[in-house]
Amino acid sequence: MSDTKSDKVLDLRGLTCPMPLLKTKKELKAMKAGQILEVWGTDEGSKKDIPGFVTKRKHELLSLEDLAEGYTKYLIKI
Amino acid sequence: MDETGFWGFVKEDIKKGYSLLFENTWPLWLGGIFMAILALLFFLWNFPWGVTGGYLNWIEWLGYITNIKEEIPKIKPWLHPISVSNAGMLIGALGSALLSRQFKWQISSAREYFKGIIGGALLGIGISLAGGCIGGAFYSGVGAFSMGAFTMMIGLIAGAYIGLKIVLWEINNLAPPKTQVKNKKTSEGFDWKKIQPILGILVFAVAILIFYIYSGKDEVKTGGICFIGVLIGLVMHKSRFCFVRVFRCPLMTGDAEMVKTVCLSLLIYSAGAAVIKWGYLQPDTMGISHPFGLGTLLGGLIFGIGMILMGSCGSSALWRIGEGNTKVMLGIFCLSVSFYVSRYFLTKFDLYPLLGKAYLVPQVFGWGLTLPLYALFFLSWVLVANWNEETEKFVIF
Repeated sequence: MSDTKSDKVLDLRGLTCPMPLLKTKKELKAMKAGQILEVWGTDEGSKKDIPGFVTKRKHELLSLEDLAEGYTKYLIKI
Repeated sequence: MDETGFWGFVKEDIKKGYSLLFENTWPLWLGGIFMAILALLFFLWNFPWGVTGGYLNWIEWLGYITNIKEEIPKIKPWLHPISVSNAGMLIGALGSALLSRQFKWQISSAREYFKGIIGGALLGIGISLAGGCIGGAFYSGVGAFSMGAFTMMIGLIAGAYIGLKIVLWEINNLAPPKTQVKNKKTSEGFDWKKIQPILGILVFAVAILIFYIYSGKDEVKTGGICFIGVLIGLVMHKSRFCFVRVFRCPLMTGDAEMVKTVCLSLLIYSAGAAVIKWGYLQPDTMGISHPFGLGTLLGGLIFGIGMILMGSCGSSALWRIGEGNTKVMLGIFCLSVSFYVSRYFLTKFDLYPLLGKAYLVPQVFGWGLTLPLYALFFLSWVLVANWNEETEKFVIF
């Protein structure tokens, strides 16, 4: 899954609630159906917020991965 | 009976139970039910639950120790009920974060720390005006039938709206802050994640020990408050229970889950509180000190802006600190200072009488009418929130 190419990378490391979700929402709005958004975050709460929001909006969460470098990587298909 | 088979089964079962309890987040609604039960236990044991009095006690002591303030605060932190309950919440959240392998020093960008400072300062002003935070004055306020809780709700909605407008302005107009997260070296160093559960068990063992120390010192009541605090910290952390979401989510994403959760929770809380108050198990005027009118309206408004900027409220701050959130740590310090200072000025200029008077809801409507009105209120709120989730009528962007 980690080989999936993303169309855009959103670096939200160091941001705290509610910024990661707000920025993800804004980015998803601007992207086209079928594109893939890659999000990097360090906020613990986002691990629940982002998947919840993505599935409610009928997008697809392709993966959520805690990387050894100390942040979480999300892949979202619009 | 096959001994190894039995113990093998027990081992497997404990593993499964542990994974069920600590490897996942608990459902929010479950957190809501547990919160209501714990808030009722807290009420029966002592007084309706809140957190801000504890912050005030801590900052008074800090002021005294650092020689900024001359007079000795009246109650020692380990005997002040809310201070003890807050400490319990911190312990419970820390234990829960460790058992879930989630404890991590969360470093934020400089702008986030700045927002934490401003947000915390606004929360402190809001708290002094409203007579409590969103957990004490709104949640426990509604639960314990305080009229002021409802005016605070209006203020909170308006404040959340303004707060969201501010962060949206930030997103649209300011360049994204530079990432300060350094990539960690992965190969060397001790793997803390492995021993976190053991530390978590130790933390909870200490929490239980604290209770027995209190009861041994003839302070069983205080020990009990601390232990209920531990459980509240655990429940709030595991379900990521944050009162900010009640007012923020319907405006930000349209999500109605937290509104439904809090309505369910308050339905149980208020039903239990009605038994307690109507049945005179505790005085019916307990926990309704929040002014109905200007104080809670204005306090709620300022608090609402602050909670969006800080990304936390008075009570959820405790479990976020227990999880290692440094922005919230800084924010809570500012909250405490600002609460102390604004309370000082409100007293000095004798402004408290202007803020309004506290009323018990049944004083106005009678118990017979209050309970159906409450049910109707929760039902209408849920319906509006669900409708908003579907249509996004109130969603800002």
